[in-house]
Amino acid sequence: MCARNSLYTNPKPCKHLADYKLRHGFNGYDSLQNCLKITPNGRARVDKHNTKIPRCNFCNGSQGRLYICLICSAISCSSHILLHTQSEKGHEVAVDMERSELYCCLCRDQVYDPDFDKVVVSKQVKDLPGGSKSNGFEGGCDGSSKRKRLDSGIGLDLKKSKLLITMRDRRAKSCYPLGLRGLNNLGSTCFMNSVLQALLHAPPLRNYFLSDRHNSFQCRKKSGEKVCLLCDIDALYSAMFSGDRTPYSPAQFLYSWWQHSSNLASYEEQDAHEFFISVLDVIHEKESKMLNSRKDDGYCQCIAHRAFSGLLRSDVTCISCGFTSTTYDPCVDISLNLDTSILSPSDVANKPIKPDEKTGVSTLSGCLNLFTGAEKLGSDQKLHCQNCQELRDSSKQLSIRRLPLVLCLHIKRVEHSLVRKMSRKINQYLQFPFSLDMTPYLSSSITRNRFGNRIFAFEYENSDSCAEYEIFSVIAHSGMLESGHYVTYLRLKNQWYKCDDAWVSEVDEGIVRASQCYMLFYVQKPLFYKANEDTRCVRISPRRDPFSSTAGCSSNAK
Amino acid sequence: MFVPNEDNTQLSSHFFGDLLDSVIVDVASESHRLAKLGLDRNLEEEEEEMSLSAQARARVSDPSNNGETNGKHVVDIFGQTYPSVASKIFECMNCGRSIAAGRFAPHLETCMGTGRKARLKVTRSTTSAQNRYSRGSPVLTYSLSTNRLSNGTPGVAGEYSNDTYKEP
Repeated sequence: MCARNSLYTNPKPCKHLADYKLRHGFNGYDSLQNCLKITPNGRARVDKHNTKIPRCNFCNGSQGRLYICLICSAISCSSHILLHTQSEKGHEVAVDMERSELYCCLCRDQVYDPDFDKVVVSKQVKDLPGGSKSNGFEGGCDGSSKRKRLDSGIGLDLKKSKLLITMRDRRAKSCYPLGLRGLNNLGSTCFMNSVLQALLHAPPLRNYFLSDRHNSFQCRKKSGEKVCLLCDIDALYSAMFSGDRTPYSPAQFLYSWWQHSSNLASYEEQDAHEFFISVLDVIHEKESKMLNSRKDDGYCQCIAHRAFSGLLRSDVTCISCGFTSTTYDPCVDISLNLDTSILSPSDVANKPIKPDEKTGVSTLSGCLNLFTGAEKLGSDQKLHCQNCQELRDSSKQLSIRRLPLVLCLHIKRVEHSLVRKMSRKINQYLQFPFSLDMTPYLSSSITRNRFGNRIFAFEYENSDSCAEYEIFSVIAHSGMLESGHYVTYLRLKNQWYKCDDAWVSEVDEGIVRASQCYMLFYVQKPLFYKANEDTRCVRISPRRDPFSSTAGCSSNAK
Repeated sequence: MFVPNEDNTQLSSHFFGDLLDSVIVDVASESHRLAKLGLDRNLEEEEEEMSLSAQARARVSDPSNNGETNGKHVVDIFGQTYPSVASKIFECMNCGRSIAAGRFAPHLETCMGTGRKARLKVTRSTTSAQNRYSRGSPVLTYSLSTNRLSNGTPGVAGEYSNDTYKEP
């Protein structure tokens, strides 16, 4: 369901292209390769004579689209390209000089050939400064050789956790999924409750703690510490999955967390995302101590990183020569700016958008495109180019080198005005999908796009991790900047639930779609489907046998 | 001296037209390639998600729709109701006093002796800057340490008093 056998559909060549190749093979391509000039931004143009302006053989014009014939190198403009085909028999395939794309004069359409693309890409690799070592080609870089350790140990625990769940199920009051339970607000702690609800149902974490991977007894023996946040999280899981449906008060957890993060320990309005980062930090710290490893390179084995850690790639390209330098940074989430550029003037004034206005909706893919788009750095941010050996204007582009198991997307909804020295919340609605394909934002896709989306097997494209995700939790914020309220929507067995502190209710998926999302939690598709078949609810039958299920209650997720 | 006259204006608009054509063909060529190579195969699914979202928003904003009931004072799915301030009593693990759940956090703060505003302004910005990458954004002047949404009881007048929240 997830793995794609090939990234491209290899388009069938038209009759004329096929004919050309039969008769001329690679001759035309090879001689054209010498005429290719690669611009610093990676594009390939056909430029035969460095000094002369190419002109159409028929009208001597140099404007519009120019095509060069693959057989005789005659240049024609788009108006006269047919004339060339008519005057010279068999000269049917040409190349768009501006974009180096094959053009069939008889079909009057752009056509594609992997062999041609290969020729172009080879020239790009050869000519761009840095060659195959940089420019996004990860020949023998970090990730290609190491196989991604896909939830090693997490998957194995499913059997045990399944058993634990069915055993606890005996006390379930209703046929609702286990783990569904309200959290009491301890005094402005809805920021904490909302994140906890999402974490409780993140499949890797849930499986980890429910299968007793953090054993409190052994923990206390080893470390001798009285307070351990992981033990408290473990206790939280036990309580939430116990089958008891009265709201739980995560007081012990709050106490532990405040002891670890004393700078955030205060009774006041706080930010859910900040709390999320803080919890992961604490889990990492504690587990690192126990595992005796202090790796911050993204391959850390603590449960927080195993679930949430991904790798971001940053490419900085010199605008003058095209040299690209690449750095990698691990991350546990992605913070996105809203793609507000599509806002019409009326939106800026924060007036409600008319329901029939199709344009002007911010979308998650828009935000992700913004995130992975090439950004020209200002002239005040010139960077030193290794190739030019001086400060140059540059452009920067982010992409995702390695996706995490659980993808947390944080929507930045605060806007600062330096002029007025004030901050305010952006209430702009953001459309987000339930199924998310992250392929276009991968480093491999971004690199390929930079080189014109040529049909070429870039080396590290065979990643065994899945780029398709399903959403399982949404944290929504309502209200103003300094005072508002968080709720969490959970998707369990294809039913959405709203967790509003102690109140848990069933909601229609439309409510979730229409909500003002602040944090989105996606999990890789295989894990999502596995998780949703595990939490099988068991209805207590009239015969009081908790293990027999009634029809309709034990159906698998779609 | 370049004096604008009719010829020059025509020339400028001719150049502009040329540039515009070039850009359009560029985009068309790129889109053509993406479509032919199947690199945009998610277009249909994306459109479906968009339309589902639009429908959902329309339903929610329709006043005749009952919509979501305010969950605070209703019976939840387990058949229970709760007071707006959680009333369950338990013992504070720091001092041993009996506290109501809804008042636990403010109690704990004074109990643990962690000052409220004293050290927050400084330390919050340093810790939240860990594990983050920076990205200059031309649209939003954004500061890492303070991009946070708060929760809490209303009553604090916002600086943008006309920025009332409306349901989408």
